[in-house]
Amino acid sequence: MYRSVILLLLLCGSVAAHDMTPTYPKWKMSFIPTAKMTTMKVFNKRADVQWYQIGVFDKEFEPIPFVTRYKILRIKYLSHVKFDIYINDDNVKRAEYVCTTSKLRGNDDFKPIVESRICSRFK
Amino acid sequence: MNKLITLFLIVGLTGCSLLMPKKAEANTNINGNVESRCTVNTDTVGYYGNPNAYTLTTLPASDGQVPVIRVDTSLANAYKAQIRYPTSFSSSPSLGDTVTWTGTVAYASGSVSGMSAYQAASTTADGGAMRVYNLTLAGTTWFNVTSVATYGGGSNKAFPGGSYSAVVVAECIAQ
Repeated sequence: MYRSVILLLLLCGSVAAHDMTPTYPKWKMSFIPTAKMTTMKVFNKRADVQWYQIGVFDKEFEPIPFVTRYKILRIKYLSHVKFDIYINDDNVKRAEYVCTTSKLRGNDDFKPIVESRICSRFK
Repeated sequence: MNKLITLFLIVGLTGCSLLMPKKAEANTNINGNVESRCTVNTDTVGYYGNPNAYTLTTLPASDGQVPVIRVDTSLANAYKAQIRYPTSFSSSPSLGDTVTWTGTVAYASGSVSGMSAYQAASTTADGGAMRVYNLTLAGTTWFNVTSVATYGGGSNKAFPGGSYSAVVVAECIAQ
C-alpha cells in the first residue's frame, strides 16, 4: 500500500551559479535607425544547466518585445556568452530590466531544482 | 698599441655577449575587471523526505534535506534577492487530488554581521511564497528554503508512487 516516493531536489552537491553583467546597462545607437541596442554578458557556473532564456521587462515585469540572435542561449559550463539586444525606440523608456533565467529540462534524468534568474536594470 | 688592444677587447667581448645564449623572457599580462554583479548559487542540495504516505518534506527530521541558496553581491544596495519556495510540482505522476503547499525562506547566515538584519527587513510576495531581501551590504548571504507538500486536501491521501520534482526560484534583481 505504502509506496516509496522519492523526490530529489538536487541530485549532486556541486556549487551552481550564474551571473550577468553589467548591472546597469545602457542603450546605445545601433545600425538600425529606429532601434537601440545593448550588450550583455552571462557566465555559467552551473554544471547542471546549459540553457538560459533572455527576457526584457518593464517595471511591472511585463515582457517587452525585443530582438536578439537567440532568445534561449546555450552556455556551456564555466563559459561565458556575450549577446546583443535590440529594442524599438518606442520601447526604450519602458524597458526596465533585462533578465536571464536558467531553463530546466523536464525530460532529463537529472532534474535541477533551483531556477536562477539574474536581472540587470536600465537606469 | 694599448688603444688597439682595448679596442679588440671591447669588440671581442661584445661579440661574445651576442653569441651567449639568452634567457627566454616574455611578459604575459593577466588582466581583470571588477564589475558589480550578483551571483545565485546552490550551495546545498535539497531533497524531500517521505515521513508518511501523504507528506513530502525537506525537513531533516523527516529524512529530507533543506536546500541552501547562496547569493553573492559585490556592490551594496545594488540588488535585491527574491527567493520562492515551490507551490507546484514541475513533474509528478498524475495527481487527482489537491496538494497543499507550505514552506519558508529564511536568512541562514552572512559574511557580514549586519546581514543578520535581512530577515526582519524582508517582505513577502506571491501570497507569502516569495520572500524579498534588499541586499544592502556587499558580500555573501545564505538562505534556507523549506518545503512541505501534503496530498489529499486535508484528508491525508497517499501520494501516488513515482518521482516528483519541484522548483525553488532564486532571483537577483538590480535595484
